[in-house]
Amino acid sequence: MTDHENDLLDVAPGEPHSNILSESIAYVIGLGLAVILTGVSFWVASTASLWGPGVAVGLVVLAIAQMGVHLVFFLHVTSGPDNTNNVLALAFGVLIVFLVMVGTIWIMAHMNANMAPMPEMTNLQIQRG
Amino acid sequence: MSTVNEAPAVGLTHHGSEDTGLGNRGPQSKSIVVPYGFWLFVLSDMVLFSALFATYASLVHATDGGPAGHQLFHRSLVAVETGALLASSFVCGLAVIAAKQKNMLWTQVLLFATGLLGFVFLAIEIYEFRSMIAEGAPPQRSAFLSSFFTLVGCHGAHVTAGLLWLGTMMAQIWTKGFQPHVGRRLLCFSIFWHALDIIWVAIFTIVYLIGTLP
Amino acid sequence: MFGRLTWDAIPFNQPIPLITSLVVLMALAVTAIWITRNGWWGYLWNEYFTSTDHKKIGIMYVVLALLMLVRGFADAIMMRAQQSLAIGNSQGYLPPEHYNQIFSAHGTIMIFFMAMPIIIGFMNFVVPLQLGVRDVAFPTLNNVSFWLSASGALLINVSLFVGEFARTGWLAFPPLSEKAFSPGVGVDYYLVALQISGVGTTLTAVNFVTTILKIRAPGMSYLRMPVFCWTSLASSLLMLAAFPVLTATLAMLMLDRYLGFHFFTNDGGGNSMLYMNLIWVWGHPEVYILVLPAFGIYSEVVSTFSGKPLFGYRSMIFATLAICILSFTVWLHHFFTMGAGADVNAVFGIASMLIGIPTGVKIYNWLFTMYGGRVRFTVPMHYAIGFMFTFVIGGLTGILLAMPPVDFVVHNSLFLVAHFHQVIIGGVVFAVMAGYTYWFPKAFGFTLDERLGKAVFWCWFIGFHLAFMPLYVLGLWGATRRMQHIPDPTWAPYLDVAFVGAAIIGLGIVLTVVQLLYSIKTRDQRRDVTGDPWDGRTLEWLTLSPPPHYNFAVLPDVHGEEAYWTRKQTAIKQDQLIAEPNYQPIEMPLHSPTGVIVAFFASVCGFAIIWYIWWLAILGLVGAFAVFVWYAWRDEHEHVIPLEEVIANARERRRIRKEHLHNLSQSV
Repeated sequence: MTDHENDLLDVAPGEPHSNILSESIAYVIGLGLAVILTGVSFWVASTASLWGPGVAVGLVVLAIAQMGVHLVFFLHVTSGPDNTNNVLALAFGVLIVFLVMVGTIWIMAHMNANMAPMPEMTNLQIQRG
Repeated sequence: MSTVNEAPAVGLTHHGSEDTGLGNRGPQSKSIVVPYGFWLFVLSDMVLFSALFATYASLVHATDGGPAGHQLFHRSLVAVETGALLASSFVCGLAVIAAKQKNMLWTQVLLFATGLLGFVFLAIEIYEFRSMIAEGAPPQRSAFLSSFFTLVGCHGAHVTAGLLWLGTMMAQIWTKGFQPHVGRRLLCFSIFWHALDIIWVAIFTIVYLIGTLP
Repeated sequence: MFGRLTWDAIPFNQPIPLITSLVVLMALAVTAIWITRNGWWGYLWNEYFTSTDHKKIGIMYVVLALLMLVRGFADAIMMRAQQSLAIGNSQGYLPPEHYNQIFSAHGTIMIFFMAMPIIIGFMNFVVPLQLGVRDVAFPTLNNVSFWLSASGALLINVSLFVGEFARTGWLAFPPLSEKAFSPGVGVDYYLVALQISGVGTTLTAVNFVTTILKIRAPGMSYLRMPVFCWTSLASSLLMLAAFPVLTATLAMLMLDRYLGFHFFTNDGGGNSMLYMNLIWVWGHPEVYILVLPAFGIYSEVVSTFSGKPLFGYRSMIFATLAICILSFTVWLHHFFTMGAGADVNAVFGIASMLIGIPTGVKIYNWLFTMYGGRVRFTVPMHYAIGFMFTFVIGGLTGILLAMPPVDFVVHNSLFLVAHFHQVIIGGVVFAVMAGYTYWFPKAFGFTLDERLGKAVFWCWFIGFHLAFMPLYVLGLWGATRRMQHIPDPTWAPYLDVAFVGAAIIGLGIVLTVVQLLYSIKTRDQRRDVTGDPWDGRTLEWLTLSPPPHYNFAVLPDVHGEEAYWTRKQTAIKQDQLIAEPNYQPIEMPLHSPTGVIVAFFASVCGFAIIWYIWWLAILGLVGAFAVFVWYAWRDEHEHVIPLEEVIANARERRRIRKEHLHNLSQSV
């Protein structure tokens, strides 16, 4: 099979496909970025210098960024034409994860809000102590 | 492309003129098919975790008068766990590179390091669970605790299964060498291991950091 | 030593399960003796049970499903009888605790162990042939998937004579399904059986998505795939996405029951509404998992028997993928009445109505395919037309139900029961019967008797309408589902009509068995010599019937949509086959007992978990892991089909086809 044809083949997810040095460097960069993002997350969660409600959003953004770092540098899921199937599968997975999580949280919040108050239930809390 | 008038020749008559390699070339090789199938399985596992995350988010305040996250979680422990798992993922990546170079010594050393760091992660987690149970916060105490132990415990169970798999891979590489099917399995293991670290990012962010915000 | 298993578990004092169990055990014994006396165990073991051949695995799935159809239908006719008898002062013949097990078993078996296996069975048999390849991506995994489904089915059936089944409906809603209110083994049987078979289904999904995306004949781009393959892809994507949610949810219920967790309990902060939400996140995609391949079967049948290419191929694919995605956005319509409020209900109500649009597109496409074509009213075509009539009405009642205000009136009434049976029977069951008739000759080398086939169709069509149309009326009059006793005697005539309908369906099932036996007996009269009995349009009809183990001597070169049809027409016009290709010896995967052994350990482990026999459960788990490791250590993965065999089979096929196509070209 010619090299030209090799380039047109799909690539396995997680499979690095260049030389050993650049592959190792990819992992080192990934590790570095991940460490930085983790450190920043821990700092953001403990600092008082950020606006309160923004902290949770910021943490989520940092988490998504770090997941991206893992995907690109460790799992080699990139946007090249040989990776299309891998990316499409990932996109489908992300969509489902989003629908399940956001859908559930939205629905349960409404369900809980519409629950009638139940005075006798609060006694259980006192009983358990 | 053959015209209608002549009988089309059989065999691979499509050499990349009309497609981007996305499926016209006939069945793809095992080295692509196997990891892709495993990637799909990993994505389905992510959906499983999303159901557990959704449950956790719905039940996080259902403490039934019992202890809540900010009373139970220790960020310093979580930081060490996170570091161990991340390092484990990194070393695993290097092990795959060593395996591609068919270097038995480095592959086994790096895989052993992967397992060791994974074991450190697990040990800390088990310690955390035991101390929570000892201080009166077992999973049976409240819905919040049930969902915490299940979400984090499910991840831990995956790590445990991964370590069993890792041990099996190390033995298999040792006895069979770097045959193609062994290499494919190692690649699948590394996809699994990296995916577990991705899920851990979500866990430490949502459960331990957001969960203990003032 | 044996956990909570005692001799009390066997229903000595309950005549119906006792007698049924004895009959089933006797039937099993007779079958085993018959097989032994004919010396067929070796053949069954080598050719079927350990087979990694997608065709054999597909056949096993269908056989499993048809057996479970009998059990599920038996439950149905018992329910109909009870509802006809238990009116006014009469309590019927089934006490509530027994009746509740029957409707729970009916739903569980029909969805999980009849509909799912039969659809997966068809996907297994047909998809690799239609894609022009030799097998699925992971053949041994395919075998394991089948046996895990069988293991789940086995456990469900064991519950009939050791212990009891769940009384909580086919979805086991808490808090009723929690330990406090269902302390027996019934719900545990349900949970364990579904978890085991759920693993099998998830693995099947991985297999088929990978196969359809990565393993196709040369030249078969996405837009040249048959529609059945597209629908199988969409269904497999849904399986992949939805089943993990089922696994997680059932696992949480198991944790509640086994370890005292509080996910869905009444106390400790548990929230049983969360279970409803999560189970339907799975439950709605599940019904599309079933119906999308059914739509694919209709696409194949309608275009073949209209003698025309399918109308609107691209819109069909687009509609399929739209349904695939949308099916994950409508799940709340199963619990409009649970109290999420008007805003949430409105969003999901609108989404539920939207999902009817792509289905409508499909119906129009099928109708336009028939229009202007030369329609042959074969048995599969009967089912296709019957489907269009039945399913459209069922879909319309679905649109009614999609409106929250309407749903508030008829939720969980017989109106709902009639709706979902209409779409499942009209959609899935009719498709399965059509596909069974359509692909039977490909699998076994002879067609089924046509007259008996039409009789079966009319039994299903008439029986279905008699059985379920009255239920719409009753539902609007306030009849709730799952009633063991009927309070209002004016409902009696309607329930009696429904019973007659069920009996006619039963006749249809009996006639299906008769048709099969008769067709086998007279098979020489209806041999499929050419491999193409219906003048088909897709690649499975290129092979002889049944195809060789490896399907194609050389993977066919695909040059357009309807690969086989174009090739056939060219060959007829030129009165010659394509040039003989360059044959090679063929590598095929080895057979493997892994599936059978893993399923054995899974069943043992499952049974042990249900009965709290912990040492046995651990043994089962260890055994299963040991099998994996043993399998992983094998060095031989494939065997080679020798060149002489490939050439001999191929030349035989060419000889037959040449003659057949020559005859066709003379008559044109």
